[in-house]
Amino acid sequence: MNDLPKHIIPPALTRRRFIQGSTVAGFSAFLAACGSRGTGSAAPSASVPSSGPSASVAASDTPAPQLSPSAELVFANWPLYIDTDENDETKHKTLEDFTAKYGTKVEYSEVINDNNEFFGTLRVPLEAGQDSGWDIVVLTQWMAGRLVRLGWLEKFDKANLPNYVANLEDVYKGPDFDPTNDYHAPWQGGMTGLGFDSAVTGQLTSSAALWDAKWAGRVTFLSEMRDTMGIALQKLGYDPGQVTSAQFDEAIAEIKKAVDADIIRAFTGNEYAEDLVSGNVVLAMAWSGDIIQKKLEKETLEWVAPDEGGTLWYDNMLIPKGAAHKYTAELMIDFVYDPVIAAQVEAWVNYICPVKGAQAELAKIDEELAANPLIFPTPEILAKVKRFKSLTEAEEREFDDKFSELIGV
Amino acid sequence: MGTLLKRHRGLIPFLLLAPGVLWLLVFYAYPAVQMFISSFWSGTLETGFSFSLDNWTTYPAAIERYSEQFGRSVAFAGAATILAFLVGFPLAYAIAFRGGRYKALLLFLVIAPFFTSFLLRTFSWKIILGDDGMVIGPLKEIGLVDSGFRVLATPIAVVSGITYNFLPFMTLPMYVALEKLDKRLIEAAQDLYAGPWRPGGTIAGALFGAGTFALLAAIFGFDVLVMALAGGVVGGIVGTLFLSEAFVRVTLPLALPGVFAGTLLTFIPAMGDYVNAALLGNPSTNMIGNVIQSRFLTNADYPTAAALSFILMAAILVAVAAYARLLGTESLTTGRGV
Repeated sequence: MNDLPKHIIPPALTRRRFIQGSTVAGFSAFLAACGSRGTGSAAPSASVPSSGPSASVAASDTPAPQLSPSAELVFANWPLYIDTDENDETKHKTLEDFTAKYGTKVEYSEVINDNNEFFGTLRVPLEAGQDSGWDIVVLTQWMAGRLVRLGWLEKFDKANLPNYVANLEDVYKGPDFDPTNDYHAPWQGGMTGLGFDSAVTGQLTSSAALWDAKWAGRVTFLSEMRDTMGIALQKLGYDPGQVTSAQFDEAIAEIKKAVDADIIRAFTGNEYAEDLVSGNVVLAMAWSGDIIQKKLEKETLEWVAPDEGGTLWYDNMLIPKGAAHKYTAELMIDFVYDPVIAAQVEAWVNYICPVKGAQAELAKIDEELAANPLIFPTPEILAKVKRFKSLTEAEEREFDDKFSELIGV
Repeated sequence: MGTLLKRHRGLIPFLLLAPGVLWLLVFYAYPAVQMFISSFWSGTLETGFSFSLDNWTTYPAAIERYSEQFGRSVAFAGAATILAFLVGFPLAYAIAFRGGRYKALLLFLVIAPFFTSFLLRTFSWKIILGDDGMVIGPLKEIGLVDSGFRVLATPIAVVSGITYNFLPFMTLPMYVALEKLDKRLIEAAQDLYAGPWRPGGTIAGALFGAGTFALLAAIFGFDVLVMALAGGVVGGIVGTLFLSEAFVRVTLPLALPGVFAGTLLTFIPAMGDYVNAALLGNPSTNMIGNVIQSRFLTNADYPTAAALSFILMAAILVAVAAYARLLGTESLTTGRGV
C-alpha cells in the first residue's frame, strides 16, 4: 500500500452507478412496484436473504431489551463499500473482527445499487408493519429522511452507542430530518465541487467558472439533481438547506442560461471523469472521490469546494422498523465508530470518513492517505459544503420534474 | 413415437411453435400487459400505486410534454437509417458480387463489432471523436477547423453512433437478398440490351442524392440548399457511373425485400435507443428513450414511463404499417421480389 493504494481503484464507478447498472436497478425497482399492490401484506419475505431471520420481531409495543448479541446480523450495503480481502472478495476483516468480539455471524450482502430500487423492496414489508429481514441498511441521507418521515426506522438506544455519540464528526450532527441523530449513523460521505484540469484552466475557486463562456462546450454538470442544484443555488447566494420553490426556479433559470449559451456540454453521471482525463472536458461539477482516483491518471486534475459552496452527501446506517436484531445492529454501528475500525474501512474505501479520530488511526497505517484532504477534509473545506434540504414528497416531485425538464428529459 | 406423431400429424406445427410462443408469452406478452396496466396507475413510489381507467389522461399529457423528444427520435432514427443504407447497400453489394473467396471473411468483419459490448463500442466513439482526439485533433492542427470545433455532444455524433451501431442489421439482410439473386437474370438482362442507363441514371442519382442530403441537412441544421446541391452533384456522378438498366430493372427490385428488412431492423431499435444520445449527445439531443429511462429511474414515474413506451410502440407500428404498404409485405413473406 505505498504509491498506488489498493482501495483507490474500485469504488467510484459502482457507487455512482453507470447507465447499464442503473437500468437493471431501475427495472427491478419497477418490478418491485409492480408486485406491490396485490401482495402488500402477503409476501414480506421477498427481500429476505437466504438465511432470513426468525419471526422474533422486537415489536415496538413489547419493549423486551435484548441484552446479549444475537447469533447473526443481516447487513445490506452498496457494493465495494467496506474493506475487502485482496484474494477473497467475500472476506471483510471488519466484519470478522466483529464476529470475533461478539460471536455474531454477519450476513453481509452488497445488494443496494439504487436508493429508489431498494426503497421499493423495503416498502412492502414496512408498510405492512412487518420485519423487512434486514437489521442494518445503508441509504443516502435524503432517503434516510424519507424513512424517518414515514416512521419506518427504529430509534437508536444511545446507551448502546458510546462511540457513535463521542466520535461522530460535527458536520453530520443535527440534520433537519433527524435533529438529534437518533435514527441514522453516517457510513461514508462525499462532496460535490469543482473538478478541473489545472493545466488548462489554472487554479479555480469560484463556481462562477462553470458559467464562464471561456470554457464553452467543455464544461459538464451532474445529472444528480441535488448536486447540481446545490451548487447553482449557492452560486446565487441561497442555502440549499433552506431552499424554497422560488429560489429553485431561479437556480434552474441560471443553469438554463449556460445551457442556452452552449456552455454546458452535458449533464452526466460518472462519465465526466473520463472526459476530464481525455481532455474533452476541462471543468466539471465533480465528486471528490472520483477526482482522487483520476488524479492517478492525470496529475493536473484538481478538486476544490467552491467558495460559494459545494454540497455534501452521505450514506447512513439505518435500522428498519421491526428489525430482528436491533441490539446487535446497534453494537455494529458502535463498532464501526471505533476509530481503529473506521480507519481499517477507510484504508480501503476512498470516500470521506465521518468518524473523529479515524484520521489519526489511519496515519499509523498509511500516512499519505490520512493526509489527503479529499478523504479527511479540513474544517475549512467542510465549512464550504452544505447539505440539501430534506424534501417532502411533493417538493421532491416538483424539483425532480423541473430538473428533468432542464436536462432535456 | 413415430406412429404417435403420424396419428396426430395436425399437432406437429403446434409443437414446433410451442417454444417460441411460450417465450413470447413469458417475456413479451406478460411484461407488456403488466406495463400497460402500470400506465394506468397513479400514485408514487412512497404511497404505492393504484390502478384506474381515469388515468388515461397520462397518455395525451405525455405526448404533449415530450413531443419534442418524440420528433427527435423519428428524425435521428430516420437519418441513421438513411445513412446506414447509403453505407450498407454498396457494402452488401460489393460482398455479394465482388467478395469472391473473401466473402466469409468480409461478412465476419461486418459482424465482428458484435463481439464487443454495445456500450463499450459507443464509448470508444467518445475516444475516437474526442475534441483533441485522433480525428479532430489533426484537423485542428492543420487549421481545417477552428479550435472550438467539436463533434461530440452534437446531433451528428448521436446519429453517427446510431448508424454505426445498427449498420450490421442493415447490411446483413440486404446481403442475403443480393447473394441469393440469380446472376443469370442480370446476364439475361444485359443480353437484352439493358446496358448503361443514360440519362436516366444521372437524373435518378441526382434526385435521390439531393433528396437525402436535404433531409439530413434539415435534421442536422445545415444549410439545406447547399447540401441538396452537393447531394445532387454527388448522386448524379454516382448514378451516371454505376446505375445500369440491368441494375434498376433486375438487381434493385430483387434486393428490395432485403432493403425492407434492413431498414426496419435499423429504424425500429434506433427509435428506442438511448445509449447513443446519453453518451454522445447533449441536453438538446435527448431522444424518447432517454426520457423513458429518466422517468423510470430518476423520477420513479412509472405510469408516464409505461405510457411513453406504449406510445412509442404504437407510433412504430403505424410507421411500419405505412412503410409495408409502400414497399409491400408480400415481398417479405414470400421471399420473392415485387
